[in-house]
Amino acid sequence: MAGIADFLDSLVGGFDLICYSLTIGGLFWGLFVLRPWDNQNQYNSILLHKTITLVYRGGFLLAAAQLFKLVLKIWLMTAVLERWPFPDFAYTTQFIGGIVRSILTIFLAGYCYQTLSKHPFSKSHWIIAVLVALPMIISGAWLVHAAARFDNKSLQMSLTVIHQLAAAAWIGGIFQLVNLWLLRQAEQVPDQLWPLMLRRFSKFGIASVLLILASGVPIALQYIDTWNGLVGTGYGNLLIVKIMLLSLALGFALLNKKAVAQYIVSANDYVLNKRVPYYIEAESFVLITLLFTAASLASQPPAIDIPTLTASWQEVINTFAPQIPQMNSPSHTALIAGEAGRVAIIDQIPSIAATEWSNYNHNIAGIFLTVMSFFAMLSYVKFLPYPFSSLSRYVQLTRYWPLGFVGLGVFLFFRSDAETWPLGPIGFWESTFNNGEVLQHRIATFLVLSLGLFELSARMTKNPDSKLPFVFPLLAAFGALMLLTHSHVGFQAKSAFLIQVGHTTMGLFSLILACGRWLELKLDKPRSDIAGFISVAALFQIGIILMFYREPLY
Amino acid sequence: MNKLIQSIVLLLNFIQSEQLSAHAVVTDYSLKKTAIYANKSDKIELTFNSKIELGLSQIYLVSKGDKQELLKAENGSKQGQIIVYVPPLQSGEYAIKFKIFAADGHLTEDVIHFSVV
Repeated sequence: MAGIADFLDSLVGGFDLICYSLTIGGLFWGLFVLRPWDNQNQYNSILLHKTITLVYRGGFLLAAAQLFKLVLKIWLMTAVLERWPFPDFAYTTQFIGGIVRSILTIFLAGYCYQTLSKHPFSKSHWIIAVLVALPMIISGAWLVHAAARFDNKSLQMSLTVIHQLAAAAWIGGIFQLVNLWLLRQAEQVPDQLWPLMLRRFSKFGIASVLLILASGVPIALQYIDTWNGLVGTGYGNLLIVKIMLLSLALGFALLNKKAVAQYIVSANDYVLNKRVPYYIEAESFVLITLLFTAASLASQPPAIDIPTLTASWQEVINTFAPQIPQMNSPSHTALIAGEAGRVAIIDQIPSIAATEWSNYNHNIAGIFLTVMSFFAMLSYVKFLPYPFSSLSRYVQLTRYWPLGFVGLGVFLFFRSDAETWPLGPIGFWESTFNNGEVLQHRIATFLVLSLGLFELSARMTKNPDSKLPFVFPLLAAFGALMLLTHSHVGFQAKSAFLIQVGHTTMGLFSLILACGRWLELKLDKPRSDIAGFISVAALFQIGIILMFYREPLY
Repeated sequence: MNKLIQSIVLLLNFIQSEQLSAHAVVTDYSLKKTAIYANKSDKIELTFNSKIELGLSQIYLVSKGDKQELLKAENGSKQGQIIVYVPPLQSGEYAIKFKIFAADGHLTEDVIHFSVV
């Protein structure tokens, strides 16, 4: 049960940051981008109603998330310590800070719901809303990493709050742009608002990103003091992932900025309407993933504190080194025999069978993905070059590549948990609902099977309005989120990190897979084909990582 | 379709890990410098990188056969320091297993192995 509470804690941490962005970013959007008091003739009540609704709904959800985090902590402590954590927990900074922040958030959301929504054009009401938000923003400082540290505590707490604030301004603004696009599509706001808001947000977005960097770099330098700490620890690894996600999001932002500049010169709004909204949707995927990664980062020990548990860059590179996939599995009996020694604390004996069992599972799954994504990439080729041109008529069969997921799902079902049904003595239902790890594997199997069936149906359907094709990128994005937030921190931090580094890399590629497929479904040709090809090429990379995967012996 | 997606997402929310987050870590401990001698009660100093809520933390002695015994602990004189009292032990291999609740809200589990000589 402790595992469920801990994992939910990571997920709620990401959800908390999304709600924070909706609320605080929404307020900044109103104050600096929308500026309703200056544009009373241009804006209608629907736009302002929807904008403020996002702000207060985000606030109420944020308060609920904050309270739920406390419930999870109580659950986690009760499970791990095997006793009721009160009254001790009531005196901790986490409990007091969490309650205070929840109350302040409810007060802010209540003000926006009760008052701001009734005076949406009033500048003073928007300013009051930001002032009401200030105590809540400041109270968050006692709930971050830095609050428990001994060195430069106040500086680190302040920098973290500024970092969160800048990120919320940017990401909340992106959410508001998506909202505006949906209103425009529904013809509920005038057309000219779209380019106007894009242009205004462009400057605001740049300022937010600069503030993110200005506050983030000193924090990183406090927690990571060597290059090895950046490359060879879980903290450094997730920071690299954050930088890559930021770069990806900035790439989309740059495309949007160029489109706005082009529109100003030419007055042609084709790109602004046919591409930019979908780039913004993809950017939202990236930014949501970034928020969950940021929440996950908070559960990692800073690199500066674990110099003896840091992997060298050679060890990290070796994790990805090409090698012959393991095609032979140890027997089920050998695996079970080694488990008692592997999980022992005193006289622990690393299990070679367990490592080889895991290597075999990962490598075979990698072969499945590599082969199916190879055919997927081939499906974008119209004619094969000489000397394969005679095979061109078979190329159309490659569109059935998602069937590979079904095969992979069956493989995972049999191989994931050796000690449970159908290979082991523990029954299906008993193992599924009594062991979190088994439940995780069962769900992963279900997810893989679903991916295959949905994507196959989506590519076969003749209905142009079908929503089926969108299931695949959504599930892939969720998969990315899980790979990036599911850190492998255990009793042996270095081994756990070497497992984690492969999984986070696959998480990044999984996000590219999701964004690519999403853009393939939305963009015009030839960009849709390019995005689609990048998408399946990312799947190919995941396959390659899995095919060469080697688990450290522990 | 929407219901199906919602169901999948809901189901995935119950995915879990068996391991606990580990922001708080031991940065130093007395066993690095001082050995524990057989048949003599002793104490072990653990220094953490974060402030620890001792009332919500547990430290166990693990002996052969993974038998666990809760140990008495108190805050030390330095920041992040915990003093753990160890009863007289026979020579052999042991471990300190701790479940620590740090002031930043993260619960950490870890193990330190040591020998009694």
